[in-house]
Amino acid sequence: MEIRDPLALGVLAALLWSAAGLAFAWRGASAFGPRRYRSKAAADPGRGVLYAFGAGMLPGAKESVRTHLGSWGAGVLFHLGTFAALGILIAVLCGSAGPRPLMMGVGALALAGAACGLGLLVKRAASPHLRAFSVPDDFLSNLLTTGFSAVAGLVALGLLKAADAEVAAILLLLYLPLGKIRHCVFFFPTRFFFGTFFGRRGVLPPAGRDLHA
Amino acid sequence: MPDVGALQARLEALTPEDLERALGVFRAGLREAEASYLNTCVHCGLCAESCHYYLSERVPENIPAHKLEQVAAVFRRRFTVSGRLLPALTGAKAWDRAMAAAWIDAAFGRCSLCGRCSLNCTVGVHIPSILRAARAALTSAGLIPQDLQSTVDLALSTGNNMGVSRDDFVETVQWLEEELRGETGDPSARIPVDEPGAEFLFTVNPREPKFFPLSLLATARVFHAAGASWTLPSEGWDLTNYGLFSGDAQAAGALADAMWRAMARLGCRTLVLGECGHGFASARWEAPEWLGKEHPFQVVHILDLMNRWLREGRLRVDPAHDPGSLTLHDPCNLVRHGGIREPQRRILRRLAPAFVEMTPHGEENFCCGGGGGQLAMAQYRDRRMKAGGVKAEQIRRTQAKTVVAPCHNCIDQLMELNKDYKLGVQIKTVAEVVADALAPPAPDEVTP
Repeated sequence: MEIRDPLALGVLAALLWSAAGLAFAWRGASAFGPRRYRSKAAADPGRGVLYAFGAGMLPGAKESVRTHLGSWGAGVLFHLGTFAALGILIAVLCGSAGPRPLMMGVGALALAGAACGLGLLVKRAASPHLRAFSVPDDFLSNLLTTGFSAVAGLVALGLLKAADAEVAAILLLLYLPLGKIRHCVFFFPTRFFFGTFFGRRGVLPPAGRDLHA
Repeated sequence: MPDVGALQARLEALTPEDLERALGVFRAGLREAEASYLNTCVHCGLCAESCHYYLSERVPENIPAHKLEQVAAVFRRRFTVSGRLLPALTGAKAWDRAMAAAWIDAAFGRCSLCGRCSLNCTVGVHIPSILRAARAALTSAGLIPQDLQSTVDLALSTGNNMGVSRDDFVETVQWLEEELRGETGDPSARIPVDEPGAEFLFTVNPREPKFFPLSLLATARVFHAAGASWTLPSEGWDLTNYGLFSGDAQAAGALADAMWRAMARLGCRTLVLGECGHGFASARWEAPEWLGKEHPFQVVHILDLMNRWLREGRLRVDPAHDPGSLTLHDPCNLVRHGGIREPQRRILRRLAPAFVEMTPHGEENFCCGGGGGQLAMAQYRDRRMKAGGVKAEQIRRTQAKTVVAPCHNCIDQLMELNKDYKLGVQIKTVAEVVADALAPPAPDEVTP
């Protein structure tokens, strides 16, 4: 990959900033120190961790998801759209777009994700209950991510120039470590700690019975 | 409302140094797990309906993410760079009297630390551990509802949270021993106290000797029927630990240590925890963390023992006995935070053909509303009773005549719900159900 485009360099610089910022944020969290359990585990915490990253992520695993499949589905599509947009960005940076049908598909996914992101943004703005504990970062993080997915999607469909995706990516990456998008890193340790906590106590994975029978 | 004035006065008297010290306590209560949780909540709000407070009163303040946000906003301001540099954008807030008041309301006033929101969190944030750290900070600054603190103080000064004296306890046990002999027809039946070298040392919720001695008698009947080597200690018998709810790890450790000392003093092999949810979570899961050492003995729940003895045939039950329709309440600290989910079900399935589960149940069961020290905080009684409406409705839907609850704190709350919501149910411990089902002694076993 030969990078001559100043915007591409900008993306890489923003990526470095973002990675450094996330590493710094994680360092800050890990400075609180590990929890060394002294109570004897009742079950293998590893099973809890596996559950947390596996079956525990499925829509049937949580009542909150089962009863809000629309919001959950929109969230999942929003994330998939972001990943699709990242794929498009990589293609743009490499200067080698994939086969046209593939780009159309990935572009459509990014746009669908953006539409879901917009929907979630509207939901947050419209719901007094959600607004009550939302902060400006909730809106800005969504806007930057939604914008990036939308622009990348349109680039993939040939409706915008590659440079537009690079600009959107730079904005997103510059903001990423400052706001809640940093959950892209913290999600993983959080699921690990969650799985460990409930796993060692023998609570998760659940017994497999139908709890709602 | 009682106590509100005292808390308000304490808030107003707070100095910057008090606030700083409290934040230091909060900081000390966090580990990388909690720091990670506080960086992960995305404010999706899907946790709302997992909370019995929100279901009973749909105001934003009752949404778990809203409660967490009160704490997270301060965390961001003090412990993250972006929160320090961009407080308005990130919603970071300074730690001041207003936020301390917000913490009191969120951590003490609107949460029973039941953890149902955590299982339903889309990312897996364990909110109770954060709110408990917040409670610890508030407690260190004297910003704890006085009646909750009094419960801790009473336990520290008298050895149990009901202030039962040693003499009263021993006298109650002696009276129950007489009852046991009468019920079993066995004049040698005993409820041993301070029996050195007994296999099992049994600990109870002080509500049993104080208000519900028949619960203690039921467990004694089970031990007797199983022919177990057991004892109650005259000191260190209270398994409750309200330090878990105040967040005061030092007090909690001191309370837990009383049981450890009783085990060492009497040389028992196994600590048996009675029917008390938070007592189990405290003694089984938290005590080693508070005391900084592993249990040097086995710890089991009485439900595990009863289940095992029934399975092994050590407890013989009357096949004709039918306790009627009954349902089971899952105490949060026993099931969701304790991992004791199946033994009570196996026992009830064996003894009660008309056992019916609540919906939902197990680790997804709703809190009765009395957990997290709520029973001890009179100023929040109205909220507690309202939040308990979710449990009342769960019970009503089962149409069961009896609610079995392996937790005496839950039983207190269920009794209030029974009255306020006119449920018309009986409420029993598991041991009471088992004791009622025990086969009468064979004629040759009865000594005239």
